[in-house]
Amino acid sequence: MNKKDVAFHLQNLADRVVLQGGFSEQSGSVYRSDATAWAIMALDANGAHTNLINPARSRLAAEQRLDGMIALSNDHPDSYWPTSLAILAWYNSIKYSESMQRAASFLLQKSGMALESKSYPIFGHDPSIPGWSWNVHSFSWVEPTALAIIALESAGYIDHPRVQDGVRLLMDRQLPGGGWNYGNTVVYDQELLPQPDNTGIALTALVSKVDRRDIEISLDYLHNRVVSLRSPRSLSWALLGLGSWGQRPSKSKEWILKSLSLQDRYGAYDTTLLSQLCLAFIAQNGTIPFLLPRNNIDEAS
Amino acid sequence: MKHHNVPNPKPLLTRRRFLQASLVGGFGVTFGGAFLAGKEFIWPRVMEYFGPRGETFIAKVADYNENLAAIILSGMAELGVDAPLIRGKRILLKPNLVEPHRTARHINTHPLVVRGAVEAFLSLGAERVIVAEGSGHYRDTQLVLEESGMVDVLYEDKIPFKDLNSSEWYIAPNLGNYTKLSTLTFPSILKQVDWIVSMPKLKTHHWAGVTLSMKNMFGVMPGMFYGWPKNVLHLHGITQSIIDINITMPPQFVIVDGIIGMEGDGPIMGMPKRSGVIVLGRNPVSVDATCARIMGIDPYKIRHLNAARAIGPIRDTYIYQRGEIVSSVRTDFELLDEIHAQRGLRLS
Repeated sequence: MNKKDVAFHLQNLADRVVLQGGFSEQSGSVYRSDATAWAIMALDANGAHTNLINPARSRLAAEQRLDGMIALSNDHPDSYWPTSLAILAWYNSIKYSESMQRAASFLLQKSGMALESKSYPIFGHDPSIPGWSWNVHSFSWVEPTALAIIALESAGYIDHPRVQDGVRLLMDRQLPGGGWNYGNTVVYDQELLPQPDNTGIALTALVSKVDRRDIEISLDYLHNRVVSLRSPRSLSWALLGLGSWGQRPSKSKEWILKSLSLQDRYGAYDTTLLSQLCLAFIAQNGTIPFLLPRNNIDEAS
Repeated sequence: MKHHNVPNPKPLLTRRRFLQASLVGGFGVTFGGAFLAGKEFIWPRVMEYFGPRGETFIAKVADYNENLAAIILSGMAELGVDAPLIRGKRILLKPNLVEPHRTARHINTHPLVVRGAVEAFLSLGAERVIVAEGSGHYRDTQLVLEESGMVDVLYEDKIPFKDLNSSEWYIAPNLGNYTKLSTLTFPSILKQVDWIVSMPKLKTHHWAGVTLSMKNMFGVMPGMFYGWPKNVLHLHGITQSIIDINITMPPQFVIVDGIIGMEGDGPIMGMPKRSGVIVLGRNPVSVDATCARIMGIDPYKIRHLNAARAIGPIRDTYIYQRGEIVSSVRTDFELLDEIHAQRGLRLS
């Protein structure tokens, strides 16, 4: 197998499977829920190593708490952000629909901390809009909110008020000059700087939920920015975000292969990053597989 | 170079010995309550007086093209950090790469300062030197390294890098207890090294007043548990979190990149400030106090530095000053009145 072939990198992902099902973030490391969810999505979308997928989904289900949460690790039950990823990992399988619904219920009941809208005038954003966070003890931020929106949409909750609030939060956090960062817009009258990964994630979450004119400035930012991106996380999300709005660049696959080749220089990518690149590679017309209609339900389940 | 002599150190007093003495004296219960209530006020004052003295080294450095390894080595020699001390040690350098942007290199510790530190430690016989960071605002570590210019130095010099945001972890008891966090989670790599070297940028900060070696240690806390930004720590109190982290995981050495710093709305949106110094030391509190004075800022008015007197002195007469004296390199950083944390900080 050639390193320029995505199958080579999917094999690398498969090699990170752990004994009781699921995946580690690095080769030889321990099980991680986020790495497991990303690896499932990448392998499923690419139709590769499918024998590893259901054991990994079962591992996620086994690690799920009674309230539906998937924590990053059992010793950190407050870090609930992998719950959204688990929903996407279970998306294509009826067998795990109960786990998926419990996880969705958990997300619908959980939100980042909120404040009254005018309580901190030094901030340009509205802290009263409920979204999602990384951790129970934290405010709402762009990435966990966007991932929760994508997950809840895939679980059938696109019209739920919490999803609508999440969309409102993302639009409120869009930078005046275009793009998103982790979640602050203006602080002490200074507009902060955009980040390509968060911009891509937010654009992916907002597709079909807002008017294109309202995010055009962010598409422009990302369209210009993606040309120089080769880091796996930013490149993947930038391509997914642009692709979601029909603007996947023609050189996308070439850039992804270039990013994959940079492992010779920087060392092996984490499972999460490798998975994101493999997902971005296979994305049909730029659309991520787990947002497609359910037409590929796992019969064996 | 001028040396600023200070009085002999006072007898050492630990917190345990202080409490034992209080109890023996018959006023432990009463004083204990007051002590806890006045954790930020009474204890730091007592400890600063009785505790060990600080020692810092200041070098004038005009720009990043100077022989930074030689400058750092000379400072280390002045501070007693020599080959017998460093030989065989595993060193972790922790620069500040909070949110890099290619067009704003003054946000981050300059890669050439990191290269100089690597060369200095290796020349003293360090077994291994690695660079590690858990960026506060960015999950994309590779982009962080590219945008900051760090990646070229790491690659050319074959220096290993560890992403502290997303690596294996361990849980440690919170030894500071200034926040309500009973434990703190650290990357496992921190247990596998002998020295952590905090390498901050000389910057003002819109929440903490200044961000120097102590605040830089926020970057060792994994984002996957504390968030991007590390908002869990913010909500437990920035001052309290800074002290808890530095008590539980104290850096053994500090190298401050003050060649070009940042003034005004730091740590991201401020303006470059050419201050022309590198500052070194073994006690982070004393180094930060010295840096604050170089910036024209009164360290007693920085809340976390004032409280941190419990773990190191900030009073100028308690800090042995090696190399340049503060007054010869002081360059007042702009402070913004509209930023609450920067009001009234100016050193008279």
